[in-house]
Amino acid sequence: MHINYWQELTHHREGQIGLVLLGILAGIALLAPILAPWDPLYERDMAFLAPSLRHLLGTNDVGQDIFSRLLYGARSSLCLAVLAGAGATALSLLIGGTAGLIGGLYDRVVLRCIDALLCIPMLLVLILVAGYLTPSFFSLVLILTCLMWPGGARVVRAETLSLRSELHITAARSFGARWPYLLRRHILPDLAPILLANFVAVARRAVFMEAGLAFLGIGDPMVVSWGMMIRQALRFTYLDAWVWWLLPPGLALACTVAAFAYLGNILTGVLHPRHEGGHTHA
Amino acid sequence: MRGTDSLEQTLIPGVTKLVLGWAARGRLWDYLIAFAIILGLNFFLPRCMPGDPFLAIYGEEAVLHLSPQVQAELMAQYGLNEPWLTQLWYYLRNLCHGQLGYSYYYTTPVSHVLLGALPWTLLLAGGSLLLSFLIGTVLGIESAWRRGQTLDRGLLTGVMLTGSLPDYFLGAVLLLLVAGGLGLFPLSGAVTAYTNWHGPRLWADVLHHLVLPLVAVTVAHVGGFYLMSRNAMLRNLHRPFILTARSKGLTETAVRYRHAGRNALLPVVTEAGVAAARLMTGVLFVETVFAYPGVGSVIYQALQARDYPLLQGAFLVVTVTVLILNYALEVLYGRLDARVRDHAH
Repeated sequence: MHINYWQELTHHREGQIGLVLLGILAGIALLAPILAPWDPLYERDMAFLAPSLRHLLGTNDVGQDIFSRLLYGARSSLCLAVLAGAGATALSLLIGGTAGLIGGLYDRVVLRCIDALLCIPMLLVLILVAGYLTPSFFSLVLILTCLMWPGGARVVRAETLSLRSELHITAARSFGARWPYLLRRHILPDLAPILLANFVAVARRAVFMEAGLAFLGIGDPMVVSWGMMIRQALRFTYLDAWVWWLLPPGLALACTVAAFAYLGNILTGVLHPRHEGGHTHA
Repeated sequence: MRGTDSLEQTLIPGVTKLVLGWAARGRLWDYLIAFAIILGLNFFLPRCMPGDPFLAIYGEEAVLHLSPQVQAELMAQYGLNEPWLTQLWYYLRNLCHGQLGYSYYYTTPVSHVLLGALPWTLLLAGGSLLLSFLIGTVLGIESAWRRGQTLDRGLLTGVMLTGSLPDYFLGAVLLLLVAGGLGLFPLSGAVTAYTNWHGPRLWADVLHHLVLPLVAVTVAHVGGFYLMSRNAMLRNLHRPFILTARSKGLTETAVRYRHAGRNALLPVVTEAGVAAARLMTGVLFVETVFAYPGVGSVIYQALQARDYPLLQGAFLVVTVTVLILNYALEVLYGRLDARVRDHAH
């Protein structure tokens, strides 16, 4: 389990692409207020302007600057991805970890629930719940967290179960180590790679799901979202504006999802060396 | 009396054994629990909303549009003034009768709207599932066979790109370029309106409308099947039976498809359930882009009009379809895999 993850990521072409893409997106997200020439919600200029130096990607139907909205879209997408990823992974750790450690009836009930929940298409549940609640940004994060923990919990449970019976844990216990110490020093560090891979996978799906939801028209209208931009642009396809209005948010979305997917591939490849030829920096 | 006794004595343990055997083998319990969770969500979600029950379940728009008479009728049918346990009973009873509520937007029962929409969704989903499975597995097998070569690398990169594009975005771009720009395909709908074509003419028209949504869904979801079959094939290529097949002097194609490929299909079938569920939701999104009259467009309309019973009904129909599909795939896997099949008896 002692693998240098940073080296794994930087020495693979896929990992490099993922890191660079994600770095650029994170930079845009952090610096959006400096980079964006206009306020993304400000409706001042003429509607349907073609791209010019003043508006790099023109303006939309209510005169908002599309380029600024594109930059701010990175901010809300990444923010949501990180929060939902962290939330769902924490919940996975809590539920899967306790099931693996406690075992017995509790473990069996939890595992049953996880397996049942994994059968349900969560994007549909998200659409239904969001249709009723019309969530704000943070309640959307909360809903996504509640919907996306089962997959991770299953993996965490299995790993905890096998870690519990490993020799170095037994050795530490025989030296008198108590459970809090064992958790902190032995179990959590060994779970870290799984949690990281899970975080990336959830982040990818969260970006995808939020965009889909915004595309259907459910979402906070005050938060700029790429899915919402695609939806708005699709209403005016009879104009030529789609080239600079529909394509950029779609491609930005694809870049974000691809970045997470590349990183996720490397991380799962390292975790399951038999799948893909094995890792090089063991 | 003795006759019925012995019948019961033989029948009940027999049926119980059959059901238990099924449940143990094919994860039937997981699917039943999942179904119960879905029903629970459908029942409790609107009833947790604040306000008077009718308003919460049907939404403000419906209350404005429905006459007091219809409202009273619906209240009585679903027992909305009763305690919630009675309501649950009413809800389940209505569900067993296929009554999913009343859509104020379409001014018909929800089940009516869904029955009209479901065939189109099944056509689109079935077609794209079949296509993406076939194309994905063939590409995966060929790609794994040429591991590390140009074709393999090209396909892997291509799949990463198409897999990252949201399916509705892909659909929108296809719509604008091929249907809008070149005018090769119709812009929306499933059939040309205001014609009374029959037979082959009608089928040709349906196919003509189907092509673009089908391509959009297939391209967006072929990647999953491709990656699964490539991985399974890679694991197979090092097995001894491949060496045996080669040393027998079989042709490359026979080794690739009849030996390695056929074995690689098995794990793909097990994992196909997840991909199929994802494809199904993809179909719903693509439908809204092409205004294809399936369940996806119904969901979209329901969201726009805040027609909650319609949203619930569509949700129920799609999730149950996905559950049945997944379960069928698992049973199929049990039949296909000789190891699982022989252990069961």
